[in-house]
Order: sequence, then structure tokens, then C-alpha cells
Amino acid sequence: MSIELIIFLAMIVTFIAGCFALKLPVSISMVFAAVIGAIVGGYGFPLRHLVEGMFSYVDTVLVITTAMIFMKVVQESGALDALSALIIQKFRKKPALLLCLIMLVIMFPGMITGSSTAAVLSAGSIMAPILIIMGIPVVETACIIAMGGLLGMIAPPVNIPAMIIGGGIDIPFVGFEGPLVLLTFPLAFLFVLMFGYKYVKHFDYDAIAPKLNRNSIETHGIKIFIPIFVALILMVINKAVPSIPNLGMPLIFLISAVVGAFTGEKFSPVKVCTESVKSVLPVLGILMGVGMFIQIMTLTGVRGFIVTTCLSLPAGLRYLAMAVAIPLFGAVSSYGSASVLGVPFLLAFLSSNQIITASAISLIASLGDMMPPTALAGIFAAQVVGMDSYTPILKRFIVPSIIIVVWAIGFIVLSNSIAPYIVFK
Amino acid sequence: MQRKHITGLICLAVALVIMVITGRNFLSLKDLGTIVPGPGVTEKKMLSAYFDGIEGTNMDTEVYVMEGSSPGGKVLILGGTHGNEPSGYMSAITFIENATVESGTVYVIPYTNHSGMTHNDPQEASPQYIHFPTENGVRTFRYGSRASNPIDQWPDPDVYVHAASGQQLSGSETRNINRAYPGRPDGTPTEQAAYAIAELVRSEDINLTFDLHEASPEYPVINATVSHEKGMSVAAEGVMELQLKGIAMSLEPSPTNLHGLTHRELGDYTNTIPLLMESANASQGRLRGATNEALALTGIDKAYVKSEALGFLYVPYDEKGHPIEERVGRHLQGIIEYTKAYSAQYADAPVTFTGVPTYDELFLSADEADLGGVQLGKYLH
Repeated sequence: MSIELIIFLAMIVTFIAGCFALKLPVSISMVFAAVIGAIVGGYGFPLRHLVEGMFSYVDTVLVITTAMIFMKVVQESGALDALSALIIQKFRKKPALLLCLIMLVIMFPGMITGSSTAAVLSAGSIMAPILIIMGIPVVETACIIAMGGLLGMIAPPVNIPAMIIGGGIDIPFVGFEGPLVLLTFPLAFLFVLMFGYKYVKHFDYDAIAPKLNRNSIETHGIKIFIPIFVALILMVINKAVPSIPNLGMPLIFLISAVVGAFTGEKFSPVKVCTESVKSVLPVLGILMGVGMFIQIMTLTGVRGFIVTTCLSLPAGLRYLAMAVAIPLFGAVSSYGSASVLGVPFLLAFLSSNQIITASAISLIASLGDMMPPTALAGIFAAQVVGMDSYTPILKRFIVPSIIIVVWAIGFIVLSNSIAPYIVFK
Repeated sequence: MQRKHITGLICLAVALVIMVITGRNFLSLKDLGTIVPGPGVTEKKMLSAYFDGIEGTNMDTEVYVMEGSSPGGKVLILGGTHGNEPSGYMSAITFIENATVESGTVYVIPYTNHSGMTHNDPQEASPQYIHFPTENGVRTFRYGSRASNPIDQWPDPDVYVHAASGQQLSGSETRNINRAYPGRPDGTPTEQAAYAIAELVRSEDINLTFDLHEASPEYPVINATVSHEKGMSVAAEGVMELQLKGIAMSLEPSPTNLHGLTHRELGDYTNTIPLLMESANASQGRLRGATNEALALTGIDKAYVKSEALGFLYVPYDEKGHPIEERVGRHLQGIIEYTKAYSAQYADAPVTFTGVPTYDELFLSADEADLGGVQLGKYLH
């Protein structure tokens, strides 16, 4: 047994023992697993590495925290209720079309930021009440939101995993739009109908109309939507006019949240901020723990061991290895998985069209955002619909995940044949 | 005081201690070690002399000027474009400490992205330092990052848009100076540093520019020289000379659709002939085993030997690895041969120098036990 495998097993056993035997939080268990891995690997107590590993997620932590504050503000100000009432009233006669439109709205922040978390916590949280009011159960609603986040992250124009994978072998992000559109939008419409259509096909507007809360829009009028428009404009404006400096997602969410304090119902900013930070703290802790975990895996050679083991499988099994390993490693981060495994797999499939292959691998990498323990898209989708656990969402994700993987591999296998029709540079 | 408050205070105290210890360690990374100028160095100045927008910032960096006794052409050597590619800056430093220029002038920037030398990439577990035993004791150099320090430039945008071409890359490339050329005076700190280098090239009328890199062994462009189209005749002659000396070197044309790199933008926006060289560095690869100083200096890695057997690599890889002497030797021999080729083709502006250790001296003739730092240390003073 190689030393890398021994270290890896020691880390996994420590993590499991921490979570289940000692009942420690996931984040603390990951810290212990990282420390044990370093000790078994002969690196002692690697304080520098533990701290350095955490810093991978500084930006993500800021995005998550500020997005949650924005979400709470939109909720507390009454904008959420107002928007639900408005959209349902407008599209009440075409529920299938409404579902597809809602899916596009959920995907939109992911499409322009490349972040599933941003999509789930912004548009996802705004659309959740609409889906629930229409009669879709909370679990299916959370699934739609999480899937919207995942596919939004991969859909063009911004796909960070594809950029990372392409950047690994110096492919500029040019010509990816066609493959990404075909990889994501058909699946988005399929999944939203799969999860929601049977609940809304006999949609009775008159029955739910009394449940819709119109108080806030009647009191404050259209200005109640201003924070949502501000967020939308600030996200898009830099893409439309590149000379305008990029504010970054955290600042965009904060500015929009501040605006929201003046456009609707009154609320306590301190209470909103405190509640927001409290609700995301466990996830932030997991991210820190994961950062340490992966740094120690790299330090000790476990990371390379995993990558080379996956690649060393026979050519046919390599697809299976990719389908399993990339989402699994995505538990660390889908971006990290795209870099660590996505690039070597792209090189392994170098005879296929590189743009289509990188796009398809990025789609598989998106599943990492549903992989425990981080499972950012799953955790936050559960939070926005008020579920305590995201496990039921994961269970309902099994079939769609298989469809995603098969769809992506199909593109890779056929890439050279379809490239002339879908890759435009 | 309640128990939860005591627990909270203890946690805060522990966090404070960790912050102080690791904070001090992080700040110490700004010390890049000392470069001992050799007999050929006639002047040392800062890059900000060419663009004062970077003066006093962490992007400003030393420029060593080595002027020959006879007039001639001008050569620029860029080391440390990427701080996690040690043979790049160690080649530049070895040149500074050993070369004597006879005709023409050679400018050497050992740490092109100075900021990138002052931190390490999270989750890469890179060594912080590399050490070389020398006749005057052990010399310590930094092992840095591919990108500028986030302390100097943060946050990254979601997408990096290359200003001159509109090309889109992932946001993290915003801090990669070799995606920032030709740079912008009013751009990010990394773009400003790239602009300063372009200004140096323009104001000194540099004829030939070397950008010294390393690549992971699974990267297709490796053991290669990438040339702008206007440098092809010089590069082709140099590659033939290198191959005659037993050095495997391929010649790659600079892609016209990949922007921000020296071999594309310095060629397009200045008069210089830019050449970029790559050698094989296991410590930056995705297939590597344990990450430490030994890996950076010797390249010995059973994970890469396994990958070689699986056919995933673009360089031969065995138990002997690719020691720093081999990688620095390739770069220095490349500089020698390409400069000779340039001087032969542009006889009115020749650049000649002596004293630079060759591939043979650094690697082929070295005792195997000295590879991995000792042999290179013999040329550091």
C-alpha cells in the first residue's frame, strides 16, 4: 500500500470519526483530518499550510455572506412577496412556460457571475416562494433552484470552470457559447418540467389568489423592486461596458441590500445581518476546513495520487472515472475540481474537440456544488425553502445527475463530429 | 462571566496567536534574498525608472544593466514572470552573477512579477524557500506564485478581459503578468508592471527579449521555445544549435489568438523579437506527488514516473527527475544560442558575452550527487 493511500485513509477515517463518533461539526472534523494527514505524512503540525489553505475561500466567503444579507433584505422589505404575486398573476394561464421562465431567471445570476451560490441565493431565493405558491413541494422547489444554480453557472456567457480548464492548456475562452448553450438549456427546461410540471399543470389561480401577499406592493408601489434592479444592473453593467470597473459580487450585494433598507417595509439592519451571518456560519466553517484538507492533500502527494489513479484506468473506464471523480472532488469546490482534475482529463481526451470537451467537463464539474460536505448549491437551496436538511434534495438529484453526466459524455464522444456545427470562433 | 463567554475568549486568543505567527511568516516572504552582482553588472536601477506609476509599490523590481565595452544590440532577460517556476529566475540570477558582456547591452530583470514572488498560492502547498549551498554559505531564494500577491491586487473579477484584445480568461488570470501585456498605464498593478516592461523595451530599443518559464510535464508546450513570427529565423537557427548540443527543443509559433503573453504582445507592440522558453518543472504540475523543496530542485517524483508510463507526459520522465541544473542549463544555453543566432543575422547590432555557465557545465558534466542544487550553487557567489 502506498504512503499516499495510507495518508488518505488516515484523513478519511479521522474525518468520519470526528463527524459520527465524536459528533463534531463537519468543519472541525476536516481540520482534524488535515492535521492527522500532515502528521502521518511526516510534516508535523503544519500551521502555515492550514492557514494558507483556508485563504482559497476568502472571496467565496464574502460572496456567500453578502448574498445572504441581500436575500434577507429582499425578504424583509416585502419585495419577495410583491414579486411572487406579480409574476403568478401575469403567467397564470401558461404554467409550463412560467416554469421555464422561472428557470431562466434562477439561472441568470449564475450565467453572468459564474457562481451557483450567487444564483441560488439571489434569484433562487426570489423565485422560491412563487414555485411553492404554485403548489410545488419544497423539496422539488429546492431541486429546481439548485439545478438552476448549477446550470446557470455553466451556461454562457460566463463559465468559470470552463475558463479554468481551458486556461490549463492555454485555450482562450472563445467559441464556447454554442456548446455551452446546447449543454445547459435543454437540460434546464427538461429538469424544471421534470421536477415541477406535474404539480402545476392543473394550476388554479383563483384558489391561491387570496394567499398572495399584495400589501407591500400596494403600500410602496414599484419602488419596492429597486434593490433587485440595482443588483441586476450592477451585475450586468460591467459586462456590457467593460470600461466600468467591476465592483465584485460582495459589494454589489451590499449596495443592493443598503438600497433595500429604504424601498419597502422597515426592518432592523443589525438583526438582518446577524441572522444572515449566523445562518451561513456552518458553511463558511466547512469551506475553511476544506481549504486545509486540500492543502494537506497537495502537500503529502495525496492529490496527485488521486489524479493519476483516475487517469490510469483503461480508456473506456476513463469516462466513468471522470464522471465519478470530478463531482466527488467537487466536494472541495467545483472550481478546484475543474483545475485539479478537469485539466488532466481534457489532456487525456486531447484527440476530441477541445472546446466541446472542456465545456462538457465543466458541466460535470458543476455537480461538485451538490456534493457533500460543502454542497453549496444544495445547502443554500434547502435554506431558501426553509428545509433543515438538504439530504432529500440530494436523493432527488441522483437521476438528473446521471442524465447530466451522460449528456456531457455524449458531447465529448461526438465532439469531433458536431464541432463544425456548434463551435463558432 | 458565563461559560460561553470564556469559551469565546479562549477561541479568540488562539485565533490571535495563530494570526500573529502566520502573519509574521507571511510578511517575511517579502525578503527575496540577496543577488550578488557579478563583474558584468554596470548599473542597477528600478523598473519604475521606465514608468513611475509603479514606484514605491510591490510591482517595482530591480533591473540589472550589463553594458559591454563595445557597442552593439540590446537584449532583455525576463526571469520570475511566474514565481512558481524557479529555473526562470534562477537562470536570470546566474546570468547576473556570472556573465561579462563584451558587446552590446544586456538588461536582466530577475523578478519580473516582483509581487508574485512575495506569496504562495493557496492549496498548492508550495515550498516557501529553495536553498543552494555555495562557497560562501547557503543562499536562500523564494519560491513564489504564478500571480501577483492579492495584498497588492484584489479582488479578482469573475472574468478577466484582456484590455488590448478583449479576450476573456478566468478571473484569476487578472494577476498573471504574462496575460497582461502590453499593459496599461492606468490599469491594474499587474497591467502597470507589464506596461513598465513594454516601456523599457521601447525606450531602450531592445532587440531581443527572453522570457524564461517552466511548465508542468503534462503540458503540451514544454522543452520548447515559443517565438513571435518576426523571430522565427533567429529561433530556428538557435533551436538547431541547441539540438546539435543534445538539447531537445521544439520551436512553436506564437498563437495569434492567444493574447497578453510576451511572445505575442511584445512582438506586436514593440520592435523587439520576443522568445519564450519552457522547461519541465514537476513542482507546478497537477499530477505531482508530495510537494516540497526537494521536488522543486530535483524533479524526482514517482507520481510523474507513473504518469510517464501511462503516456500522459510531453517530456521523458524517469527516476532521475529533471534537476534545477538541467532546467537552468537549458535556459542559459538557449540564451547563448539564440543571442549568437541574432548576432549572426543582425551583424550591425551584435550582443556577445562570456562567463555564462553552459548546459554541459551545469548538467551534463556534473557529478550526479551534486544535481538538485549543489552544482548550481557553484555558480552562485
